[in-house]
Amino acid sequence: MTRGLLWKVIIILAVLVGFAAAMIPTNDNPEPIRRGLDLKGGTHLVMRVNVGDAVRLETDQGAEMLKGQAKKSNLPIPATRRVNDTTFIAALPADTPTTEYEKIAKDYLGSFDVSRTPEGALQFKLKPAGQTALERDTIAHTVETIDNRVNALGVTEPYIATEGANRIVIELPGVDDPARVKDIIKTTAQLQFRLVEGDPGSTPDAAMTNVPANMKTEVDVLPGTREDALGRAAGVEYYAVRKTVPVTGTDLKNARVTKGQMGQPNVGFSWNPEGARKFGDLTGQNIKRRLAIVLDNKVVSAPVINSQINESGVIEGNFTPQQAADLALVLRSGSLPASLTTLEERTVGPSLGRDSIRQGVLASVVGFIALILAVLLFYKGAGINAVLALLLNLVILLGMMALFHATLTLPGIAGIILTLGMAIDSNVLVFERIREELRDGKMVRAAIENGFSRAFGTIIDTHMTTIISALFLFQFGTGPIKGFAVTLLIGLFASVFTAFFVSRVIFDVMYKPQDRPTEMSI
Amino acid sequence: MQIFVNSKYDFVKWRFYAVSFSVIFMLIGLAAYLKHGINWGIDFAGGATITLRFKDAVPMDRLRADLAAASIQQYGKAGDNAVLIRLPELSKETDYAGQVVAKINNDLNPQTTTKLDINFHGKDRLTELLASADPDGKGSSPAARDYYKNIAQNIVTRRSELGVFTNMSQATSAPGVTTRIAGFLNDKCFLGAFNLLNQETVGPQVGHDLQQKAIWAVVLSTLAMGVYLWLRFDLMFGASAIVCIIHDVLMSLAFLMMINGEFSLNIVAALLLIVGFSINDTVVMYDRVRENRRKLKTRMSLEEQLNLAMNQTLSRTILTSGSVVIVLIALILLGGKVIHEFAWILLIGVLAGTYSTVTIVPAVAIAWNNLTGRKHDLSGPVKGPVRVETKPPVVPPAQRKRKAG
Repeated sequence: MTRGLLWKVIIILAVLVGFAAAMIPTNDNPEPIRRGLDLKGGTHLVMRVNVGDAVRLETDQGAEMLKGQAKKSNLPIPATRRVNDTTFIAALPADTPTTEYEKIAKDYLGSFDVSRTPEGALQFKLKPAGQTALERDTIAHTVETIDNRVNALGVTEPYIATEGANRIVIELPGVDDPARVKDIIKTTAQLQFRLVEGDPGSTPDAAMTNVPANMKTEVDVLPGTREDALGRAAGVEYYAVRKTVPVTGTDLKNARVTKGQMGQPNVGFSWNPEGARKFGDLTGQNIKRRLAIVLDNKVVSAPVINSQINESGVIEGNFTPQQAADLALVLRSGSLPASLTTLEERTVGPSLGRDSIRQGVLASVVGFIALILAVLLFYKGAGINAVLALLLNLVILLGMMALFHATLTLPGIAGIILTLGMAIDSNVLVFERIREELRDGKMVRAAIENGFSRAFGTIIDTHMTTIISALFLFQFGTGPIKGFAVTLLIGLFASVFTAFFVSRVIFDVMYKPQDRPTEMSI
Repeated sequence: MQIFVNSKYDFVKWRFYAVSFSVIFMLIGLAAYLKHGINWGIDFAGGATITLRFKDAVPMDRLRADLAAASIQQYGKAGDNAVLIRLPELSKETDYAGQVVAKINNDLNPQTTTKLDINFHGKDRLTELLASADPDGKGSSPAARDYYKNIAQNIVTRRSELGVFTNMSQATSAPGVTTRIAGFLNDKCFLGAFNLLNQETVGPQVGHDLQQKAIWAVVLSTLAMGVYLWLRFDLMFGASAIVCIIHDVLMSLAFLMMINGEFSLNIVAALLLIVGFSINDTVVMYDRVRENRRKLKTRMSLEEQLNLAMNQTLSRTILTSGSVVIVLIALILLGGKVIHEFAWILLIGVLAGTYSTVTIVPAVAIAWNNLTGRKHDLSGPVKGPVRVETKPPVVPPAQRKRKAG
């Protein structure tokens, strides 16, 4: 064997060993080739983040900030009105200089463009750059929160990514209780503590009857659960709660399930220092008043404050153990900055995945064996060459998939087997050329040389056309189809390598120039 | 083994029969389309599908009464007691399938009991139940939880193997289940009517987006292919390649219409593969035509050039298509329901691609040649570095041989 040929053989063996090693499962990486959800079961979700929620909240907070600062500066408090998601208008009291308010706007509301309306009111519009940044942050924060929740649920290898402007794709392998997981993901978990005015009533109107006249416009009516004498849920009742939200769940340090006196599950929580200060102020100043614990605009419970509470508290609310555990989980993982809408959901139960993989693998193995037999039948000795190239192609393909962390899906299995069909095509093109050359009376070595060089251009052309269609598959496909396109692309590159380089080297080893071979099995 | 050695088939002569056959095939497909339209899958139409496997015979009447708008069909073999429920699109975006599953669960399973339905619920709920009751006295440490989680996983795996539990002993014989746990399961769990195999919801927006993307993908990749071949060869070949691709895609679609198959994302993947793969035969044949032209010694009409190249590449065409067909037949026979239609469409596309290379492509190329003054009837070497002789490039029309066919 010449030096050049020896090097080529070494390269091929190195490629073989390298890619084979990538496929071997280790402790760190028990599943080198990730199976898609269609093969192992699980849930695929596409959700839209309603970023408008966060923008609206920002606008509302701007209005609150203006009022709060006006109060601090002993100015008359302006009446504010939100016009749309990004804009609010503050009607200024007639006897106050507007410059005072403009100063507040300049100092505290930098993210708004301020202008005067024809009526002389101040209009605050969220700056476009600020809005874009806010939307981006909202998406990022949502992804992070979902990630926290999914991890807390113990889902192994979840995949969470943004898609397009405001969509999130969530893949949860092995989840077999999709309803619960979806609930946990979608709960916005916005926890608020708000003071109750008057007494709860059985209708929204009844709840308003005892609210002091000057507070009527300062409250929201929210639904809650009515409890009977034994503390069991018994219908709905309504609470009039103040619009101002002195404390929210953002300052929570921790939340966990605790047991009440009767052994019923509650959710205990503790504050970070900032939260403890705010909560201490709120409870200290409002002893003997009702404090509503509001979760996602529903009153979970509304206990009477008996004493000042600083560090921690308990939410009691007729929870089942599961509900209490799930609530503690979402509170710990933080609230979502915006609500989510399910656009697409696909759940494959584990049984279906198992059936699919069994049938897919069986069909592929049978197809592969049939392919090998056909090649051996047609090309005899050279057929062995083609089969070796094919096997190496398979190793490269699977190894590359492991290295790229590509996902193997059911159409992906079909893609692999089809790629092998195309790899065979390259060999067929070369072999047919060699046969022609031999029929024309060429010597074995010359026939091999010419066969490879003449088939080269054709093979490049056939691969290019398929690469073009694979790129379009990748560009326009989603989920499993993308995986399929990746498989196809990798396979195409592998097949150029095996058909030209590997196959050639095998022939060079089998029919060495110095032996002057006269017979060729093809 | 060698086939088609020095074959001299006059492919060009058959082209009119072939075109007629293709047109008839497509017309049958068109008739099928006019009869029942396109059976859009939920990927494109939106809506929901749910696959359920029942413990006993499928309560078809109950399901039909519950879900008036749904189409309900048997899934898999008759003895599997499985159904595929297809629900039409809802105009609003919501977790449609999940709500319907909850409704079916409500109707078919007793909701008054506090027992856990281990045909319906997954390992999380079962783990929760076992860990809180702690029948084996393992305490409340994380290790104890893992112990029960492992057992719950084994029970769910057993259910996956069976599809659905038909009696409690199947669950209690899962690995790791102790006598106490078995007793506990018998006491606190029951077997509900069904196991949920699959549920999918596609909202209207997503369906619309996917439809757009699919159409663009097929159209753009076809055009890109034509442009590549135009640059690589010439305009006549580029144009006939595009016609060939459209032909192959239409033949596959006609077949899909005839079997009234579901037009899903997988079908689009199959069509794109056909676009990329079926053109290969044509590329190989063109390459041969071009190569032959370079070493041309005598005058040769386009018909003769095409026939020569097709015969020279015939055994390669048959071998390659044959290998792929072998694989696809294996996928069709053994690959299971999910890839069945995908494999069928690919098979038709590959067969159509092979056949169109030797029929449709020459038909288009010859027609093009006739319309453009037979520039492609060559009389000597035209391309390549070596020019051996120079003769007038265009043969006067009067001297033309009668066309074949």
